Amino acid sequence: MTFLNFALAFGAAAFVIPLVIHILNRSRFRTVEWGAMHLLESVIKVNHKRFQLDQLLLLLVRCAIPVLLALCLARPVLTGSRLLEGDAPVSMVMLLDTSYSMDASDSTGSRFKSAVEAACQIIAATTNGSEVAVILTGGKPTPLFDQPVFDSEAVIRRLRQVQSGYGASNMPEALNEAMAMLSGMSNARRELIVLSDFQAADWGDSGLITANAIRQQVDAMSIKPELTLYQIGSQVQGNVSVDSLEIPQRALGVDQQLAVRANIHNHGTSEVRNARVILRIDGAEASVSQISLAARGTTQTLFPCTFKTSGSHIIEVQVVVDDPLKTDNTFAAAVTVWESIKVVLVDGDPSSQPLKGETDFLSIALTPYTFGRVKLSDLVETQTIEAKEINEELLKTARVIVLANVSKLDDETLELMTNFVNEGGALFVTSGNRIDLTWYRERMYAQGTGLLPLPYGATVGQSEEVSNPSSEGKSSRIVAQHFSHPAMEFFNEAANGDLSKAEIRRWSQMKQTDELPIVESGTTATDPEETQPAEPQQHVVVLARLETGDPLLVERRFGDGVVMQMATACDADWSDLPLRPFYVPLMQQIVTTMASQIAPPRNIQTGEPVVALFSNDSQDGQTHAAALSVTTPDGAQQSITPESQGTLQLARFDETQRPGVYSMVLPSTETIYFVAATSRNESDLSMLSKDKLLSLSKDMAATIISTPAQYLEQDRLRRHGREIWKFVLMGLLALMFLELVLQQRFSRVIT
Amino acid sequence: MQFRVLSSFLPPTAFIFMPHVSDVLSSQDIGKFGNLQILAKQVVEGFCSGLHRSPHKGFSVEFKEHRAYVPGDDIRTIDWKLFGKTDRLYIREYEEETNLRCTILLDSSGSMSYCGSRSNGVSKHDYAVRTAASLAYLMLHQQDSVGLVTFDKIVRKYIPPRARPKHLKVIVSELQKQKPEFETEIGKVFHEMVSKIQRRGLLIVISDLFGDVEQLMKSLAQFRHANHEVIVFQIWDPDELDFPFRQWTQFASLESATNKHLVDPAQLRKAYLEKLAQFREQLAKGCNRQRISLVPMTSDQPYADSLAAYLALRRKSK
Repeated sequence: MTFLNFALAFGAAAFVIPLVIHILNRSRFRTVEWGAMHLLESVIKVNHKRFQLDQLLLLLVRCAIPVLLALCLARPVLTGSRLLEGDAPVSMVMLLDTSYSMDASDSTGSRFKSAVEAACQIIAATTNGSEVAVILTGGKPTPLFDQPVFDSEAVIRRLRQVQSGYGASNMPEALNEAMAMLSGMSNARRELIVLSDFQAADWGDSGLITANAIRQQVDAMSIKPELTLYQIGSQVQGNVSVDSLEIPQRALGVDQQLAVRANIHNHGTSEVRNARVILRIDGAEASVSQISLAARGTTQTLFPCTFKTSGSHIIEVQVVVDDPLKTDNTFAAAVTVWESIKVVLVDGDPSSQPLKGETDFLSIALTPYTFGRVKLSDLVETQTIEAKEINEELLKTARVIVLANVSKLDDETLELMTNFVNEGGALFVTSGNRIDLTWYRERMYAQGTGLLPLPYGATVGQSEEVSNPSSEGKSSRIVAQHFSHPAMEFFNEAANGDLSKAEIRRWSQMKQTDELPIVESGTTATDPEETQPAEPQQHVVVLARLETGDPLLVERRFGDGVVMQMATACDADWSDLPLRPFYVPLMQQIVTTMASQIAPPRNIQTGEPVVALFSNDSQDGQTHAAALSVTTPDGAQQSITPESQGTLQLARFDETQRPGVYSMVLPSTETIYFVAATSRNESDLSMLSKDKLLSLSKDMAATIISTPAQYLEQDRLRRHGREIWKFVLMGLLALMFLELVLQQRFSRVIT
Repeated sequence: MQFRVLSSFLPPTAFIFMPHVSDVLSSQDIGKFGNLQILAKQVVEGFCSGLHRSPHKGFSVEFKEHRAYVPGDDIRTIDWKLFGKTDRLYIREYEEETNLRCTILLDSSGSMSYCGSRSNGVSKHDYAVRTAASLAYLMLHQQDSVGLVTFDKIVRKYIPPRARPKHLKVIVSELQKQKPEFETEIGKVFHEMVSKIQRRGLLIVISDLFGDVEQLMKSLAQFRHANHEVIVFQIWDPDELDFPFRQWTQFASLESATNKHLVDPAQLRKAYLEKLAQFREQLAKGCNRQRISLVPMTSDQPYADSLAAYLALRRKSK
């Protein structure tokens, strides 16, 4: 306990006044020669002890009155058991929720504005010497300053510039970071304040586990921080969000139709009728549709669209409704439209006769319009060469190389090829009667370190003699299944062709090896625990199998590129695939998917780096590092310096915490777009109920506040304690009354 | 003590008998109850002679007056010596001695010396002395015989009852000698007096009666048993009745120098008053039972008023 007017507490010494009066009274008595002593004596004899007790009691009460009066004037303050100085500086870490749900607005304005205002008020009230750190929890927890700052005004200035709209908060991680930061701070008084809307989605079930973990962490700390939870905003009803856009992954050419599916979710409890949904391409309205959404329902809207120019484009779907949170009413995606995809077909069994060459069918399948001499343009541009013609220049322009029944490559070419794939190229290897099994196994596979996903084994199936089909073995067919690989998804619809109708007469067996485990395509999604590998390059994905169980089509990531391997030949020698109608889409799908996979992804999650690979355009072949400009979603421009990676330049931008469209201007003045998306978990705006928040705070041993003033009051109480002069005054009055009563009771003097 | 001597207001008889009475009684006082008469409540021996002149004139030894002889008077009553001197016949008349024997028992113990602030400097003892003198005067004036007993723990002085007017002087001078200082043992003293006062008569006790009530009542009962009529004048000081002390006070006993108590009077006032009421009730009950008249008197009231009021009461009850 401390006193605001400590000097007045000395007034408590006035307790001696009644004591002195009592003693004086006793000493300065008058003497009366008394006659009726026999009456007096009997009274004194009986009541002697009671009189003494009464006198003592009265004396105590009278002594207590000046003591209480002095206490009252000295303004006592209860400070609890701690003896910290009231103005001691504080080490404060503030977690400010910058997730997009904080953009939600109610009658009092946006949650985020309230949060920033509250944070500024709290920080402004810190005493001199206090150090403050603010961690923005939206997306990846990010400190406002790298180090805790002693200048609270600087923090406030910076805070006022902070914008919300980041991805969903990762509170456990943010709290961990806050704890780590707190433990490194210097002041003895530690504060941890969480300013958030405490959405049920963030804190619901996992909140309890998090709370316990936090409490354990707090308990383990040598100086325990005071935890304060500040729930911003009030419950708002209803919100509609565009949860995601589904875009086919295969490469897209100019004028090719793209089907964009938008998933729209109604989080509210009332139905939404006739909401307009707008598709914008590069900011221009391209298509509009109208939807109705049931309460808590979801719906899909399909937008077919085409692109007139090649290059990077942005498509954006917006649902036009009047809801509290506008941020999640739009969802964007980056789409790359290819002018053409150059595919180099390396023919291992060339022929001058039509359709006898190994790659003739494949070439036709990839460029049907060119072959048919129609005006429509093909996305794929093929060039058929022989193995010996492979050189560095060719590989610079090629996006996909097909090794069709190539017996073997010389070492130099193999190295070129390895570099090509390693730097992001795509390689498609098909089997055939010419291939050198030993070379493929030893050089191309090289015990898992080479390009090949699996080594080719023995050739099985029917004899090559067509006239004697049943001499050796039987042909096989492709297993009819649901394909989950993007290249094969097309065939999940029966109308697009039935792969199982094709007869595979001969094929090279591809045996699983110890080096690279085989994973069925699509199993990653269904059973992630068992098949989730550490590195995608360390396993082989089977796209399709034969009825015999042998893999027909396998894929493996290699470096930044991808390698696909087929067990049979790509011409009609070993199968009747080229004679089937679905051969064209199958090959197109395989090649375009491979071509689109090799580019670094342009639709990323927030926090993932934006990476662009582009060729070095300098004529002299020397690499030069010209700065590139990146425009972030909030309009700020930042420059980055690309790094040279082999023959290519790599530009990387890591500051992608904010969801939205990032654009990068390449040296060739081409602008490429990236879209950082975030989970729509926070679109459900329901907040933790009071009870749940209370139990959460109990688990965390935290205090809940609802206004900055409340925090300041609580802080004042913790620092200075609670003023109790009113209670003392009440006690004083009670004592005075008691004194009066006692005096009346003991004396009963009637004048 | 200052007493006014206003002899001119005194009746001629008083002037004759009371060279010292004026020391204790003012003329006003004497005038107030001079016309009153004590009427014995019970029939005692000599009651009528107390009330009327005795028919047996000439038997008395106390000469009263001469008067002219008228035919019919007993010739034995003629004063022949005077006839020889004056040659006229005078009858010699004598006062008949009465048989009302009144004994005043005056308490001279220490407790009687208390003098409160409101009693105009008249201590209880002074008050008692004046009361006793008044009574003595009154009764002697009626030719009743009056005796005096002063006592504290023992009988200090016993003056047997006499009816001679000069007796008043004896009594008054004795009253003036009293100095209250010793303890009281009123019961023991009364017990002693029972044997001394053998002839029935009126006993007037003037005391504060402080002491053992039971013993006192026993003694009074003995008086009553001996057919005495008893009147008790209980003298109070106003302080003793309402205990008005406020500040811390040391109460020192008037009867014992070692008996002292330092107390906060305010604190014990209530208990004291309760005890006082109890004491007075005991006394009242006891006296009532013995058919003794208990007359409380406070020393701040004019004592003559109290006395007159009592005598009026006696007459009324008669």
